[in-house]
Parts: sequence; C-alpha cells; structure tokens
Amino acid sequence: MATVPAWRAARVTPLGELHAPPRMTAVLLRLTVQVVLVASLWHGLYSRTGSTAGLDEGQAVTYAVLAVLASRIRQLDQYTGRDSVIQHMHYGTIVYWYLRPLPPQRYYALRAFGEQLYGFAWALAGYTVCLAAGVVDPPESAAVAGVFAVSLLLGQLVLYYVMLILDQLCFFTIRNNSAMLILIFAQNLLSGVYAPLWFFPDWFIRLSGFLPFQATLSVPLSIYIGRIGLADAAAQLAVQAGWVVVLALFTRWVWRQAARRVISQGG
Amino acid sequence: MSGAIQVRGLSRTFHTTVRRPGFAGALRSLVAPERVAKHAVSDITFDVDSGELLALLGPNGAGKSTTIKMLTGILTPSSGEARVAGVVPYQDRERNARNIGAVFGQRTQLWWDLPVRESFTILRDIYEVPKAEHSARLAEFDDLLALSSFWDTRVRHLSLGQRVRCDLAAALLHDPPVVFLDEPTIGMDVVVKEQVREFLRYQVEQRGRTVLLTTHDMTEVERLAERVVLVNHGRLVLDGTLDEIRRKFGSTWQVRATLTDPHTEVVALPGIAVVRREGARVVFGPDGSAAPTVHQALKSVIERYEVTDIALDEADLEDVMRAAYIQAEAV
Repeated sequence: MATVPAWRAARVTPLGELHAPPRMTAVLLRLTVQVVLVASLWHGLYSRTGSTAGLDEGQAVTYAVLAVLASRIRQLDQYTGRDSVIQHMHYGTIVYWYLRPLPPQRYYALRAFGEQLYGFAWALAGYTVCLAAGVVDPPESAAVAGVFAVSLLLGQLVLYYVMLILDQLCFFTIRNNSAMLILIFAQNLLSGVYAPLWFFPDWFIRLSGFLPFQATLSVPLSIYIGRIGLADAAAQLAVQAGWVVVLALFTRWVWRQAARRVISQGG
Repeated sequence: MSGAIQVRGLSRTFHTTVRRPGFAGALRSLVAPERVAKHAVSDITFDVDSGELLALLGPNGAGKSTTIKMLTGILTPSSGEARVAGVVPYQDRERNARNIGAVFGQRTQLWWDLPVRESFTILRDIYEVPKAEHSARLAEFDDLLALSSFWDTRVRHLSLGQRVRCDLAAALLHDPPVVFLDEPTIGMDVVVKEQVREFLRYQVEQRGRTVLLTTHDMTEVERLAERVVLVNHGRLVLDGTLDEIRRKFGSTWQVRATLTDPHTEVVALPGIAVVRREGARVVFGPDGSAAPTVHQALKSVIERYEVTDIALDEADLEDVMRAAYIQAEAV
C-alpha cells in the first residue's frame, strides 16, 4: 500500500490560514496599507531631491516596498494555530512533538518551510501587483534577478534560524515575548525594513555587519536595486551562506539541549 | 524480561530550586539558590502483558505521569530500565513512537485551527500510514466513537468530550500495540465516559492492545482493569488484582442473611465472623487478615445455611482506594 511522505506536514500553516479567511483578509489589508504608506513616504522624502545616500527615488521606493513584501514571508505571529513552541510549552502539549516518529527539529523545519512558502506566495502576488502598477522597478537584468533569488533564499534560511533560536529559547525560559519584541525591532532595523542601512552612520553599519540580520533582507534587496553590484555579490552570498552554516550548527546543538528540558508537568 | 511493558527499578530524580518565603527569602533564593533533589519515581518495577489493561493509580503527585513520561521516551530515567514493545523508549524515541499511542488528559495533540479530519491526515503523513489503511481505521473509529458528526469541525470549536474522543482516535491511527492514557476521561460527562470505556475495552479485548491507564475515576478502574499498580511518593505500594486490593484495604463487606429457621445455630466460618444476630437475621463480616472476598463469603454462607433472603454490602472501590492511599501515606 502506498504510504504518504511525512514532508506533507509542511501543509499545516497554509491549511490553517485557508481555514481562517478573516486572517487572510487582515493580511491583505495590512500589506496594502503598508505598501501604500511606505511608497508615499519615500516618494515624499525624495520630492525635493534627486538622489540621497547614493540612491535615486525609484531605487529607494523599490527597496522599501520590497522590504515590506518580503517581511511577510515569515510571519512573526506566535499565537495563531497553537502550534508554536511557546504555546506548546504553555499548554504542555510539547510532549507530543517527542512522541512522534518525526523528530521535533524536522517537524519544526517542515512547518517553517510551509509557512515561508505560503508567505512567499503572498509576497510574490504583492510584487506582481506592485510591478504592474509601476510602484516598484523591475531588476536591471536577468542575471541580477537570478542572483537576487539566490540571495533571497539564503536570507530566508538565515531568518529561519534566527526565528528558531527564539523558539528554542522557550525550552529554557518557557516564554520568549520580550526576546521576540527585541528581535522584531532589531530585525526590522538591522535588516533594512524601516530604512535602507546606508542611511545609518558608519559605526552602525559596521556593527550590523557582525550580526546576521542584514543577511536576511538588506543584502538581497540591495542586489535587486543595484546597490550591491554583481561583481560584489559573490562575497555577500558567501557571508550569507556562512551565517546559514554557523546558525545551523548552533541550533542543532540547542535542539539536543532542549530535548533534555522537555518539562514534565504533573506528578 | 517479558511482557509488552517491562519496568525494572525505574527511578527519576528532579533537581529544583527551593523558593524561600517573603521578599528577603526570594532575594536570597535569587542570589544563593538552594538546590534540592526530588525523587519523583523511586525504584519501580512491574510488567504489563500484551493485551492487558493495567491501571496505574495513586494520589496527585505520586509519580504516575513521570512514570508514563519515561515509558513514552519523553523523560530519561535517573536509573533503572524500561522496555516498551521491546524498545528502550528513551534511547530510541523514533522507533518507540511507532509502537505507542498516548493521550495526556485534556492536552490535545490535534491542530487547533484545522478541522479534525485534517489533523488525522497530518498524523497519517507523519506516521507514514498507507491511505487505504488510514481510511479503514478511521471508519472503524467512527463506528465506535461517532466522530463523523463533528470531524469536519475545527478543533477549537469542539466540546471537551468530542475533542478527547478525537484525541483517542488520533493516538491509535497508526495502530500502536501499546497505549498510554494519562487521565483520558478527566472532566467528561458520564455518557461520553462510558463511550470511551467501551472504546478502550474494544481496543484491549478485540484488538489486543496493551493499555497503561492512569485515572482517579474508580468506576473506570472497576469497569476496565483487572490489575492495578498503586504508587505513592514515587514508590510502588501494591501490584495486584482488584480482588487482592479489596482484600487488603477494603475488607468492609457485610453479608446479611435471613435464615429459613430462626433457631438455627450460627457459628463463625473460616475467615467469616458473625457480626450480629437478631432472630432469623444474621450479619456476617470479615474476620482477620485471612478473610475471603465478598463473593467467596456469600458462597460459604449459602452452602452452610438455608436462607430465605441474602444481601451484600460492599465498600466500593473508591472507599477501598481511599483506605489504600491513607495506609500508603502512613508507611
């Protein structure tokens, strides 16, 4: 008899969203409002100047709008679906992750993959609409588009591991709300969601270079708008890949520690 | 070792920080925390045969759930050894997971936002159950637990009774030979409880599953289990049949007989004392530690005397267990 492969567990998040139309409407509204406001803001900032920090208006608006769309790829909502680590720790249901033949780390990865793919569909739909409406510029060439795609993929892997560390924290502290708030702020600031990083002072840019956040969004978006040329892209991709390896090894170690911390509730 | 579940000298010690009372105490605990060892389970040994339902009983905090967590592989014991369907659960979690199903009280393993049937499908994928097998098993569970009337409802909208029935089905979808149930019927109404008991009885008697059940519901124990293991303060207090437990802790039965001839001479029988006599009416009770069970006593009285009427008063299992817990506490 034909068995069904375990990777189909990746459907969990998209299925949950499709069964909750109000949540999808909220995402649509939020994205629309954010894109309109961000595009208006950057058009306004450039209304009296042709170029700032080496960026023209088209590049700046494209960067900002793409940042809004890309930030949707991995939603940071911890409370929908009761299938996040923090909620499993809260309700004592984390035990079930350890009672299945699919190891918790693989289930987590599959679920995150589904979540990121679902978010990517939203981002892609938004991008298509924005491109058709002339809100964002297309990439300069097919080569730029290709390198951007690779960089975006690596950026999403870095983001996955950063989010994983936050979730793993729950095994040791039960809750991660404060850490999550700090992460959301740091990620948005240091990855260039609020504003492209080159608007910040040099020391800030240098500091953010030691953290993984700019590898998530700033690098791929900078490649897209041409701020990072194709000649320099290889080094940036290598840094992103480096972060992926470092974070993968670290989170693997933390999973092993976490397995010893599955808290026994009740006598 | 033999049996579907084999437990030998199993112990688990937790190390916790003592929280001192008051502000100063809390500050001291923060600066110089004092660690203490809590022995949740100490040197427990028992077996459960294939196709047997064993009730693991004990007061709150006795160590029942910790024992189950070690047998399911969630916790690693501090010492001792356990095997479930031939697998050491905490050493080979993945292989053990295919052999066991588990329900932990009101904690659901279903996906909150999805219809129940979708949850079942995801579990089918995770356990890699063939589609045809999954459908057949689902149909069987629907017959026994009447799931189809609500399995297209999202889990968050189910009543407790509906959810627990779905959780039971979810735990057995991959056809595990061993099932762990930690207070599965807690908070459920009597009708659903009975339905769940029927389901469990069917799984043991017809499907030959081995079930380890913890519960505080003595009716459930009486209806489902022949054998119980009693634990308290992490230690095994008793391992025996319900009759043995009754004999040991619940010898409070009385046999009330009305003799055909009120002048019959009434004497004590082996292990049976005459508690009182009023004419033709005689009340018998247990005598000493060698007292027979209430059913044996009834048989002895009927065989020895001619009676026109006979009735039994027996301490129910709740009373028996209360006596057992109190005695275990005193040990």
